Amino acid sequence: MAIYDEIKKAMGDLEEDRLIQLIKEVLDTGGSAEEALKACQEGMDVVGSRFEQSEYFVGDLIYAGDIMTQAVEALKPALASNVGSGKASKMILCTVKGDLHDIGKNIVRSLLEAAGFDVLDLGIDVPPETIVETAKANGIKIVALSGVLTLAIDAMKDTVDAFKNEGMREDVKIIIGGAPVNETVAKLVGSDAWAHSPHETVSICKKWASE
Amino acid sequence: MSDVTALAKEREQIYKDLYRGNVPTRVPVSNPLALDAMVEYVGGNVAEIYWDMTKAEAVFDRVCSEFVADQPPGGTRRYPSFYQVLGSKPFVMSSTGHMQHPDVSGMEVEDYDYFISNPYDCIIERILPRLYTELNTTPELRALALAKGFSSWQAEMATVGALNSKIRAKYGFPTIPSGATTAPFDFLADFFRGFTGITKDIRRYPEKVAAACEAITPILVKKGQLPVPSEYGMTVIPLHMGPYLRTKDFELYYFPTLKKQVEMLTEMGINVQLFVESDYDRYIDYLQELPERTILRFEMGDPKLIKEKLGKKFILSGFYPLSLLITGTKEECVDKAKELLDILAPGGGYIFDFDKGALNIVGNLVETLRSVLEYVTLNGSYSPAERAGNVELTPRPNRCAEIVSEIEANMNSKYYTTWENYKQKHPELYQGIDQVIGPKIKRYEDTMFNFIINLCS
Repeated sequence: MAIYDEIKKAMGDLEEDRLIQLIKEVLDTGGSAEEALKACQEGMDVVGSRFEQSEYFVGDLIYAGDIMTQAVEALKPALASNVGSGKASKMILCTVKGDLHDIGKNIVRSLLEAAGFDVLDLGIDVPPETIVETAKANGIKIVALSGVLTLAIDAMKDTVDAFKNEGMREDVKIIIGGAPVNETVAKLVGSDAWAHSPHETVSICKKWASE
Repeated sequence: MSDVTALAKEREQIYKDLYRGNVPTRVPVSNPLALDAMVEYVGGNVAEIYWDMTKAEAVFDRVCSEFVADQPPGGTRRYPSFYQVLGSKPFVMSSTGHMQHPDVSGMEVEDYDYFISNPYDCIIERILPRLYTELNTTPELRALALAKGFSSWQAEMATVGALNSKIRAKYGFPTIPSGATTAPFDFLADFFRGFTGITKDIRRYPEKVAAACEAITPILVKKGQLPVPSEYGMTVIPLHMGPYLRTKDFELYYFPTLKKQVEMLTEMGINVQLFVESDYDRYIDYLQELPERTILRFEMGDPKLIKEKLGKKFILSGFYPLSLLITGTKEECVDKAKELLDILAPGGGYIFDFDKGALNIVGNLVETLRSVLEYVTLNGSYSPAERAGNVELTPRPNRCAEIVSEIEANMNSKYYTTWENYKQKHPELYQGIDQVIGPKIKRYEDTMFNFIINLCS
């Protein structure tokens, strides 16, 4: 099996030691850091699929995010350009105002970055005006809002309304995610999409980025 | 007997019957409003009330008189005062005034061996100073910070205790002593290794994770004691990490010590309520192994399937989706309540409760919640025929004193002294009144123990 296929397999199987060893081998033998990164990203796709099929669980996603971060850090010095596909789409990701939870958000960030997005992670407890100002200043077209507590629903709605009040609602696509989110909540909030799974979030953002 | 006193007695009997396997007169009803939502409902400032609970009586008065339920709403342990003076990282107030616990990590991988050999000492010496910045300082400043934190915690408990007594007396709520503790794996995960750390530890140091869970179990059993002895008290254990793990990891690392903990608390005569958070579909058969009459409040799951598999052995609760109260009509919400009553009430062993607590007032919540609580209170009665099999409730023996003594004797901690050891070290103590001095000295030790563990969970 070519080394890049092995990297993809090690990432998908969450074999941390094997993955780091393979990446070191690529770098030591003058292999392609870009190909190795692409293989890691494909391995993360495998992780995402296995999560969708309930073979992997949230703990595995957290672990995968950590391994991916290690892989990217190891490859960064050898990469010709910034991390990403070279056509990185910039987007905002954050936990909304009043909510301090970030584990799910961080998992989604890892997968979005692995998929080539340039993610502006605004952190936790982020007020609507900060999200709107950051979007305006950076020409952001995709905004992903996270929340765990039911009080996040209000804050998500306030954020969508803030974009409307700025006359920017038609310029951005907004997706919401987290435990309290569902179809009915998405309608109440006025978002363009909603998702429970990180993999689904990435799929929707990728579709928007390609439009 | 006044109406309110009679109501309290009626409600107490409902819970007593429920805990002992009798069919009660009706299904008891829980109010999901957290203190935060209650304050929002009356139009107050959430942060101000959390900081000054002497102002909370008016909030409780309005909510308890306008929303019928069998238990008072708004219970919490998280008051910002003592967290603030200790420089808390695990519990902080958000910009909107809500107390929350961000993902933090107070325990390094290198701490595992010490934690396994002596968890209480490891917590006090290494972990607490990382979680509470005011403890990460000189011994003198640390002592002062701890004194301030402890005294502010005690002051809050006194204020809230007095408030609860007043509200219970005014609205006829039953007196059910309550405790709280944490599942061993969750205790290790929540603030010590963090969600991120523990998922890596399971893969890198699995034997240490297992040993650490075993080591902390006795301490978390002691923590689960009721504040006063009672056959009808309840200790709540919220379950966090289980659904995030693979099934084999749940079986190896999460469930064994949870099961041991629930068994020991049950042997101590305590009624244990598990808040079964997130999706336990994979783990229904494991729950079967828990002691009879454990209360299982479900956030998710098929109520029909769970009633069928677990309804005979356990007391079931939860399932009602809070989100429906937010987005649904009154009719839809009452229909859902009826549906759950039809599935879960037959044969007894059911507490009407929601899948989660409501932290704020949003959407249709006020009107739908009021309608649902009223509906279940009026329509959840059991017939005499359904109650014909009830037995007389008699006191039952428990091993509380024996189990707790054994735990305390084996703590071998520099920071916890049993009365027997204290007496040996202090021959100068006035002789002949051990029955007065002993319980007092022990109470100081145990109060500090509860404070310390509460800071970590």
